[in-house]
Amino acid sequence: MNPYLLIVLLTSLGLGTALTLSSTHWLLAWLGLEVGTLAILPLMAQRHHPRATEAATKYFIVQATAAATLLFAAFNNAWLQGHSDIQHMSHPLFTSMITLALLLKLGLAPMHTWMPQVIQGVSLNTGLIVSTWQKIAPFILLLQIKQIHPPLLTIIGLASILIGGWGGLNQTQLRKILAYSSIAHLGWILLILQHSTALATYALLIYIFMTSATFITLKKCKATTINMLTTTWTKAPTITLVAPLMLLSLGGLPPLSGFAPKWFILQELTQLNFIPHASIAAMAALLSLSYYLRLSYSITLSLSPNNLPECLQWRVNYPISTPLSSALPAALALTLFLLPLTPSALTLII
Amino acid sequence: MPSLHIILTTSFIITLVILISPVFTSILYKSLNPIWHTHHIKTAVKMAFFTSLLPLFLHVHTGTELTITNLHWMNIMTFDINTSIKLDHLSITFVPIALYVTWAILEFASWYMKSDPNINQFFKFLLIFLIAMVTLVTANNMFQLFIGWEGVGIMSFLLIGWWWARADANTAALQAVLYNRVGDVGLIFALGWMATNLNSWEMQQMFITAKSLDMNAPVIGLILAATGKSAQFGLHPWLPSAMEGPTPVSALLHSSTMVVAGIFLLVRLMPLMQDNPFALTTCLILGALTTLFTTICALTQNDIKKIIAFSTSSQLGLMMVTIGLNQPYLAFLHICTHAFFKAMLFLCSRVIIHALKNEQDIRKMGGLHYLIPTTTSCLTIGSLALMGTPFLAGFFSKDAIIEALNNSYLNAWALALTLLATSLTAAYSLRMIFFVYMNFPRFPALSPINENIKSITNPLKRLAWGTILAGLLMTCAVLPPKPPMLSMPPYIKLTALVITILGLTIALELALFTNKQRPYMPKQYFYFSTMLGYYPTIMHRFFPYTFLKLSQTIASMTIDQTSLEKTGPKTITSLNLSLATTTSNIQKGMNKTFLSLFFTTLMIIILLNYY
Repeated sequence: MNPYLLIVLLTSLGLGTALTLSSTHWLLAWLGLEVGTLAILPLMAQRHHPRATEAATKYFIVQATAAATLLFAAFNNAWLQGHSDIQHMSHPLFTSMITLALLLKLGLAPMHTWMPQVIQGVSLNTGLIVSTWQKIAPFILLLQIKQIHPPLLTIIGLASILIGGWGGLNQTQLRKILAYSSIAHLGWILLILQHSTALATYALLIYIFMTSATFITLKKCKATTINMLTTTWTKAPTITLVAPLMLLSLGGLPPLSGFAPKWFILQELTQLNFIPHASIAAMAALLSLSYYLRLSYSITLSLSPNNLPECLQWRVNYPISTPLSSALPAALALTLFLLPLTPSALTLII
Repeated sequence: MPSLHIILTTSFIITLVILISPVFTSILYKSLNPIWHTHHIKTAVKMAFFTSLLPLFLHVHTGTELTITNLHWMNIMTFDINTSIKLDHLSITFVPIALYVTWAILEFASWYMKSDPNINQFFKFLLIFLIAMVTLVTANNMFQLFIGWEGVGIMSFLLIGWWWARADANTAALQAVLYNRVGDVGLIFALGWMATNLNSWEMQQMFITAKSLDMNAPVIGLILAATGKSAQFGLHPWLPSAMEGPTPVSALLHSSTMVVAGIFLLVRLMPLMQDNPFALTTCLILGALTTLFTTICALTQNDIKKIIAFSTSSQLGLMMVTIGLNQPYLAFLHICTHAFFKAMLFLCSRVIIHALKNEQDIRKMGGLHYLIPTTTSCLTIGSLALMGTPFLAGFFSKDAIIEALNNSYLNAWALALTLLATSLTAAYSLRMIFFVYMNFPRFPALSPINENIKSITNPLKRLAWGTILAGLLMTCAVLPPKPPMLSMPPYIKLTALVITILGLTIALELALFTNKQRPYMPKQYFYFSTMLGYYPTIMHRFFPYTFLKLSQTIASMTIDQTSLEKTGPKTITSLNLSLATTTSNIQKGMNKTFLSLFFTTLMIIILLNYY
């Protein structure tokens, strides 16, 4: 893509999120969200093959619906309450509507069906942006809304974790797997949103690091299906070594950093006496873990019968070191080794 | 005599040391001397026998009995277990007899097993068996008795399976161990009961404290133990199968010493049982049933060793009947006299089998009377003693038992069975004698018939002297503790003799039928006897099959398949599989899916909000 165009689009993307983050009025928040949506659409439809176009279209429809509902509910609330402050919403109906709109934007169950299709349709880099950057703005808005009806968040959160687990089990396309994994992680965040904003933020941060590391690794291996993952050991042996750890961190296993958010969320839920929620969430995490294990098994733990020439892969485009790929070590380090630093990390957020 | 007890103690300890020393010397230096066995073990047993005669004479002369307690072995709180040796009439009399019989058998075995490369090990096994038997007999507490009990059981297993490459021998050894184990359950139960209720395993304390308690439970355990070890009906099939072992094993273990261990246990613990009419009746009926059943089985056996095995079993039943009559002294007397003639019968049978090149079927023997006169004479003496011919060894015990049986007010059915068994004893003994060495030879012409070897004739002669004199010596030496009935009508007095002669003549008459042609008699009449009463056929198949099937049902089907597979992991797998398929099938790439879901959820929230 033309570098000027790229700069404009990426700047608008950042601008959109920044606008949302710094707003107190619903109109500005909606504005930021729309800017972000519009900015990413050309990025998604970069390659003009039908799949990318379809993904861009679907994304636009989803985000537009959500933004429209958001605006409608915000203005109704302003009419009833007299002000448009994000942090002082009190009308329960419109609070729920806004929450639902934001959850549609995030791609949580039961409105999740667009996520796998969109992320599958776009390239890995854009998928990374959709999965990570685009989640920040709606999340911040969700944080600021008080008095959300608690069962709403709990049911949707648990449903997301379960659907994220079950959906990913039947997939071979890696981007769809990562889409379901993001649904599951956002479900975890949603569970704790009402009770501890610090933990929710921390969970989102760790999720962003882990997902970035995964997407960059996949980009490096040029792998989009599980079968293509199996030849990683010829292309980048170091990645073959580290990839299982990264995937298991996504799955939430100690002593990797992905364990910390799950651990604290479960602890918080238990302390608040939400035992069934904690149990279901913990059990459903096993479902996601099974497909992460499947991936790590294909990368590292199995070797298909091959002959000597296969050990040297034909590399047509030698991967040029892009800015994104230089972020891989940082992302990996944060994915794997952050667990001992959790107390200090939490104090940063609180 | 002032220091009587010291002499008794010391001589008995010396006997034990002489017996145990070859075991230790064999551990200490491995000698490749091929005749080590003869020099060490047989000599040791001989010396031990002569040494043990000293306690015997002292006891007979003065009536001394003593108990040696030397080692406080262990204690569990207030429960002490010592090693103590009780030298009373029973053990002082039994040990020399056992040593005498073992000496004869070892001398015989040194000829018989001469070509076996592991002969030293064989003799060592026999010696260890003997030590275990002596431990059992001289035990003053139940723990030591149990050690001896288990010891003889294990040695029996090792010795029956001596020729372990033969599948039948292994099966027989296993059978012996299993049946003995079932009896051991009774013994262990009795041990436990005594430990908890009588607070001691020392016999003296047990006899005193048991006077006031209801002793039904432990004596049933003891009777079960005796049933297992002494092959009473119900746990009897191992004894005929144990004939797979070498003949010295059969002669020593399964005729004289090991199988009488069960009866000996009951004799030793008689004070516990003598006030318990239930136990006495059980012994009586069990013994009568055993003796008749095994005698019927012995009538149609064609293997000479099996005939003698069944005869042993039937004599054991007779001993059990005696215990049921509350006459332990007579039972013990029969144990001692039976040892002599039964061992001799086994040794004679082995000489005959060897002479005919390992032919064990009596239908293929005959006419041996002129060819191996010593052996056949000893066979005759032994059989006559078995039948209870007046003034041979068997007479003093057997006739006394039958007299006591006739004069008691106990079960008439047991009496009838025992008398019938006595006459049938005469019948099968005559059958054996008739087929083995009367009439004309039925074996092939070139048979290595030779009995001119000292190692054969000397033991046989010694045992024959024992058979003739032992009963007399024992009855003259010691007064019976219970006064026998001395006055009875002549027909009662002569019952045993008349019955025996009746059985003998009928059997002789039937045997002479073989010289004449007679109408064909269908074989069904014999099936019960030849199939050993169908007992092994039913029991050896039915119970193992039932238990194995039950265990398979429980372990494999209930636990494994149901709990661990179907209700657990497999259900979860199928459930999750269907849910995963459903979830991924929602993705059809249609916009209306998420839009409609969003709309529906919105409506639900709105509606819920207003309620």
